[in-house]
Amino acid sequence: MIGFLEIRRRKLQFALVGLIVTLISFLVLMINGLGVGLNEQAGRALRNFDADAIAYSDRAGLSVIRSELSAETVERIGEESGARESAPLGYMAVNYRRDDGRVKSAAVLGFDPGSIGEPPVRAGRALTADDVNGLLADRQFLRASGLKVGDTVRLSVRLQEREFTIVGELNEGAFFFQPSVYMLRSTWREMKYGMVTENTPSASIVLLKGEGLAGKRGTGWEAVSKSTAFANIEGVAGQQSTVQALRVFGYLIGGLVVGVFFYVLTLQKTPQIGVLKAVGASTGFIFRQLLVQALLVALGGVVIAVPLAWLTNEAIKQAPDPVPIAFTTGTFVTTSVLLLLMAVVGVLFSGRQVAKVDPIIALGQQQ
Amino acid sequence: MGIRLTVRDLDKVYGEGERAVHAVRGVSFATEPGEFVAIVGPSGSGKTTMLAMIGGLLTPTRGTIDVNGRDIAQLRGKALAEYRRTKVGFVFQANNLLPYLTARENLLVMARINRSDMKAARARADQLLEELGLTARRDALATELSGGERQRVAIARALMNDPELVLVDEPTASLDSARGKQVVQSLIAEVKGRDKLGLMVTHDMAMAELADRVLEMHDGQLVGQAVAARG
Repeated sequence: MIGFLEIRRRKLQFALVGLIVTLISFLVLMINGLGVGLNEQAGRALRNFDADAIAYSDRAGLSVIRSELSAETVERIGEESGARESAPLGYMAVNYRRDDGRVKSAAVLGFDPGSIGEPPVRAGRALTADDVNGLLADRQFLRASGLKVGDTVRLSVRLQEREFTIVGELNEGAFFFQPSVYMLRSTWREMKYGMVTENTPSASIVLLKGEGLAGKRGTGWEAVSKSTAFANIEGVAGQQSTVQALRVFGYLIGGLVVGVFFYVLTLQKTPQIGVLKAVGASTGFIFRQLLVQALLVALGGVVIAVPLAWLTNEAIKQAPDPVPIAFTTGTFVTTSVLLLLMAVVGVLFSGRQVAKVDPIIALGQQQ
Repeated sequence: MGIRLTVRDLDKVYGEGERAVHAVRGVSFATEPGEFVAIVGPSGSGKTTMLAMIGGLLTPTRGTIDVNGRDIAQLRGKALAEYRRTKVGFVFQANNLLPYLTARENLLVMARINRSDMKAARARADQLLEELGLTARRDALATELSGGERQRVAIARALMNDPELVLVDEPTASLDSARGKQVVQSLIAEVKGRDKLGLMVTHDMAMAELADRVLEMHDGQLVGQAVAARG
């Protein structure tokens, strides 16, 4: 009651700290959203693969870029005990030119129709074995390029350029921080290696379905789980540790701001706390008032920050090259709960200060 | 029936060894139920220390403080806080109200602390404010009240939990003499009208003379006592 009334009567003071908590909450939410968004950019397509494990060349160090598998190795991987299904997949990075003249990059994944490597088509149609110049494009690619199903696009790699017709739309997400497009593996092979001979690599990786495949190795290959594969995408580990550090600093600063505010407030109110103790109020009673205030301020900050962050992201999404921020309900809930917890942790220091106040100060007496 | 207070051989020493300060030494006195007693003396005479010990804010070094047969000098921690909450009403020097609360809310805080029934507490707060002539000011913030009004609210606050013992520390320190006299007269009327025991520390003899009895302290000792002469 006292804590609540104090907020009502000292609106400006509490509104200012509320504003700071709102801004910090907003920042932490955006950082968390960026963490999720970057994760999606790094490889939502990989996470979406219909596979239990992914096999790489054992010389590639779990790098899709460096992994090259021969047709023989692909066959051996598919024959591995425990593998119910397998699908070779090719990867390469290509460039294309947007209408505004800017050259952008995209990730190409080459698959075999009918295999577990084939992505589900959301609009348009799937590729058939005859669609050598057909392309399935992810929504992100369509948004970034301004193209739609039925349009043509020229993809270039090395000195080659080839025109494709977009026949279907996907929602598989990005791969290697690039919007993804899917083509036939045979076409991928031609584009990537030019002249195809029996020694030309057949795939970059092999998707595997079955039990206990992660961790298996064979001649020229090794298989890992999808989560290990994701963590080994170049730059993901560094990016995630950076985002994690920003996130932790955000929580710490949020807790610190709330903590310092209430600590200073407690110091200012020492005479009043002395009086309350002198008239019989327990440390717990006084601390509860502080706790209620800290929770109300933090809750106010979070309640404003959540829709603010969501609206900001909606606005950002309209940009041609949006910052990859993505929110989930989990992001909002976890961030809000953690910020409230940090406010409670911050106010604990004030609790110690309250406990130290001697009620004798109510009489203005120095001991 | 009122409260009976008996103080015996009360000592308070701050610090140890050569740096020890004997704030109160060998003080003994007893009160009658319904009495209002003033404690006077120069600054540093130990009168506030004695008030603090009787109020359970300080633990005596030696001696007993018998309140209706219970030695509160032996109480510690929560028991002492409970004694302060249920048996004692404090009126402190000016400006000890919570500034962000209204006059009425300052009284209701006492009920919150004591976990009293809030409906009954609101009625009691209104009654006390009325008795002290503060009904019109009950919704004014403490910072909007005059010095005299603040002290009257402090008196009402001290009486809010119906304590048996009302302890008053320099209630007129920040008031002019006319207003100070009004406040002390209200205080005495409220305390005696409810058959409480009142103990008031003051350096102002004019205020002390309004009490039933005056105890005089000097250098931590009780050096005299007199029944106040009323004009």
